[in-house]
Amino acid sequence: MKTLSFLFFLLCAKFFLTLHLFGTTQHEKEAVNGFKVLEFLGDGKKEIRNTTLALFRNGKQISLGTLIDARGLFLSKASACVGAKFAKTSSGEIVPIRIRKRDPKTDLALLQITESSKVWPSVNWEKKRSKLSEGTWVTCSSPSLSKVYLSTVTGNLREILKEGGVMGVEFNGEDNSSKGVSLEEVFPHSAADRAGLRINDQIVSIDGLHIKSSKQIYDYLGKKDPGDLLRLQVKRKDKRLDVRVTLGHRSVTFDLFNRNLLISGPTSKRKDNFPLVLQHDAPMNNTSMGGGLFTPYGYCVGINIARVDRVTNYALPTSIIRPILGNWLKDI
Amino acid sequence: MNNLVCNLFVIFAAGLISIHSQPNQDQEEYLEDLLGVQKKIQSLLPMLKQSVVAIESVDGAGSGVIVTEDGLVLTAAHVIGERGKEMTVILSDGQRVNAISKGGSEISDAGMIQLEGNLKWPFAEMADSSKALANEWCIALGHPNGYDPKRGMVLRTGKILSTKDETIRTNCRLLGGDSGGPLFNLEGKIVGIHSRISRSPDDNFHITIESYISNWEYFLSEEILTFNKLQGGGFLGVACEKSENGLRVLSVVPQSAAEMAGITPMDELLRLDSIPLDTREKLTILVSSKQPDDTISLEILREGKEKKIKVSLGKRSQ
Repeated sequence: MKTLSFLFFLLCAKFFLTLHLFGTTQHEKEAVNGFKVLEFLGDGKKEIRNTTLALFRNGKQISLGTLIDARGLFLSKASACVGAKFAKTSSGEIVPIRIRKRDPKTDLALLQITESSKVWPSVNWEKKRSKLSEGTWVTCSSPSLSKVYLSTVTGNLREILKEGGVMGVEFNGEDNSSKGVSLEEVFPHSAADRAGLRINDQIVSIDGLHIKSSKQIYDYLGKKDPGDLLRLQVKRKDKRLDVRVTLGHRSVTFDLFNRNLLISGPTSKRKDNFPLVLQHDAPMNNTSMGGGLFTPYGYCVGINIARVDRVTNYALPTSIIRPILGNWLKDI
Repeated sequence: MNNLVCNLFVIFAAGLISIHSQPNQDQEEYLEDLLGVQKKIQSLLPMLKQSVVAIESVDGAGSGVIVTEDGLVLTAAHVIGERGKEMTVILSDGQRVNAISKGGSEISDAGMIQLEGNLKWPFAEMADSSKALANEWCIALGHPNGYDPKRGMVLRTGKILSTKDETIRTNCRLLGGDSGGPLFNLEGKIVGIHSRISRSPDDNFHITIESYISNWEYFLSEEILTFNKLQGGGFLGVACEKSENGLRVLSVVPQSAAEMAGITPMDELLRLDSIPLDTREKLTILVSSKQPDDTISLEILREGKEKKIKVSLGKRSQ
């Protein structure tokens, strides 16, 4: 079939009345991730496919794994592979697995293929100290293990801080201890809005802590996660009310780009609080984290740890993985 | 203006791509080529980034690229929304600068902003028109999800898949906030500006740099051309595509001014009131800035011969 037909879904009705028809041409097969490029990854591609596993729970794929030891030991994303009972290799072999270790700080897990005396392939770690700066080619297995994706490092190597839970309010600028802290703004659909808080409500206490300044609230919320429950006492006109607020995600509550979440499809549940990440733009999904990230030659430079949005995945670099793995292997 | 800013429009793609080809190049050689591309991009990046900006307004955010020393920024029309709006532009070093929106067009989604202050700004060069060739490597830069100093601006490496009319299609994956950011070729010149996306991660759409060059003065000095505004202006009644000499007529609207003037498919439109017609958008802008019943002079190429005809414009049917 030669033509691609596009159905336009207008998010903004004012825009774009013309209909574009684009042909699929020979060169598209040669584009990044196209047939030709991948064919040329050659041995590197074999290396990637042989060492990546797909993990299943109740017949559904939930993550990928990366073989790191001939005994069938492999790494995955801890919060994504909970309850995985079986893994599938790229050649279609199905094997039982069990969890061995877990590291909450990095969200890495070590698992093992059980009931197998086979010598398993394992990744070759990249030994060259390359900088992996923006623009560096990286490859990884596609979610279905049928293909290998080529992408580039797209942002700075960095720490991803904990996101924290939010109420979705703005406080009155004047901190006056006698008056407490009052709400200047309650964001629509936010946690505060759902709990029934209103503009001008005065926060008297949170979880029994008497509130005198907005800084106190920020400090307290900084230790909380989305989903945590807060018990608030507020003053509304002459009434005192008890209000329970279940904190929301910062990115969902305040994001100008909420639509980006819609466009992006499912993302990883945990995508924050990592000591160091490499960012890349392979078209992965939330059930394909835990697989390895490789050079075009097939040397492993990291483990995919979070799908963030349509253009962003995080991978833990080997500098973070190897010390943890070293400790784990001592006990096994 | 509902939240036009930061919108990348989602297009659902339905289609099949059948793939069959044989490798005909040595693997090693190809990997070397890939590494060559990487090297080239990494050597260009520090310089290119200096010209790329994040744009903030009351109701959203986007990206842009400085193209002149006095601080003219190219972006997308849906990032600026309207002319004369005060906006904040964030340079690559984090410095915040006041800016004011200029014009643009909803047809191509091209838009412009002017930085305020008499400074010399770092800027990027624009490619010659028609330089965005299919299968060429390209680099997309921008601020998906808005400005993030720790992450920095985000690089996407990809290939140009096709160029048609005012639109370049690439597999550089874009997201809201990228709108208005630049697409560079490997010479480090701007070939396009990010505009829209589709549901498929490998279909991303950019405005051609030609759209800006062709309508430069109009975008600088006039209000944004909106589809609403087109309604009141003159109407010719041709559908065209870009051709070697100008615009080739594909079809003529029955009973329109063009049909009355005897314009037929395969005619090439060369000039309107002596102004060369190099993009479809330019023709739309020139015609719609006239009134119904105004007369224009059209130079056309028919069967190898140039001809000059007078056309009395009509009214756009509602």
